[in-house]
Amino acid sequence: MREDDSMMREIAKELRGAVPVSASFDARVMANVRRLPRHSRFGLWSRLTTPRTVTVTPLSWGLLAASLVLFASLGAVHATVDLNRTSKLFTNAFFPTTAASKPDQRVQFVLVAPDAKKVSVVGDFNGWDASHVSFQAQHRGGGVWSVTAPVPIGHHRYSFVVDDSLWVVDPTAPRVVDNDYGMANSAIVVEEQK
Amino acid sequence: MEGSSDAVIVARVLRGDVEVFRVLVERYRDRYARYAFHMLGNREDAEEALQDAFTRAYRSLARCEDPERFGAWLFRILLNRCRTMGARRGRRARTFVVDEVALLEAAEEHPAEQAAWREEIDRALQRLRADQREAFLLKYVEDLGYDEMSLLTGVGVSALKMRVMRACERLRELLSEVHNA
Repeated sequence: MREDDSMMREIAKELRGAVPVSASFDARVMANVRRLPRHSRFGLWSRLTTPRTVTVTPLSWGLLAASLVLFASLGAVHATVDLNRTSKLFTNAFFPTTAASKPDQRVQFVLVAPDAKKVSVVGDFNGWDASHVSFQAQHRGGGVWSVTAPVPIGHHRYSFVVDDSLWVVDPTAPRVVDNDYGMANSAIVVEEQK
Repeated sequence: MEGSSDAVIVARVLRGDVEVFRVLVERYRDRYARYAFHMLGNREDAEEALQDAFTRAYRSLARCEDPERFGAWLFRILLNRCRTMGARRGRRARTFVVDEVALLEAAEEHPAEQAAWREEIDRALQRLRADQREAFLLKYVEDLGYDEMSLLTGVGVSALKMRVMRACERLRELLSEVHNA
């Protein structure tokens, strides 16, 4: 039986007609939006209210554990990722040997992005706020950007944001998928340093 | 701002200009209301799903990887909201939906006019399985290719083709008598 017969086209034609929303729709959406914090002021609110369903397969956890062992023993792991065909990004994340305070642990995030003008780290630990002052990476030369920031003990998801617009996962870390929006993030487990 | 690209508007909103978000609402609400309405079967649920999708999009705007394709990203959020609402409503109303449809059918024995034909289509659409209805709407009404549909839904192309085919078969079954009258 053919999918594209005349009856289906007739049905589709009927269904393509406009379905206007009620006159108050725009006002209702905007009222909702105004109740939310402005993006430039995102902070704790977003962290507390953004739904976060972490879905990690056993294989991912295995990779995560292996990555942590590797990070602890080598200090840094470098990898490359092809980005927009023109930029090469290299990234690593590792724990320094000392923890500044409990329960937050100081975690170093490193991204090598030669073409970047700005790099920040966003994650569930900072409300996915790319403007969070503690998570702005500094350029260390040679395209290497890094920041060391306090992260609470536990399982977290994070990503790098390049030039305020491009989200880049950490290729050295396991990825998890946000089921709501279908986007991948990197996973990290922060443990108390002995 | 009305003529600006999605990326420009998204950048403005991310810099704190909340009111500019209205341009995106005006740009996408009608087309996406159509999908939500056909998927959920009534205006109230459709507007709730769409409103929720816009609100979620605003809240997660910094996570929109390609602001130039804000519309596609928003559509994906809406598709998920419709799935969630449809499943919730299905659990709540499955026991009486069939009876309601039967009553409506009994009340209209000779739908010969265009408006009645349209009503029959809406009714038949709601009698499809949700996954088949979704695939049919994306293919025939939103006019998407199977690759795009696969990216959007996370379902393989073969499975989508099967769903569309089943949806067409069922619609023929439900509508052929009315259509030929």
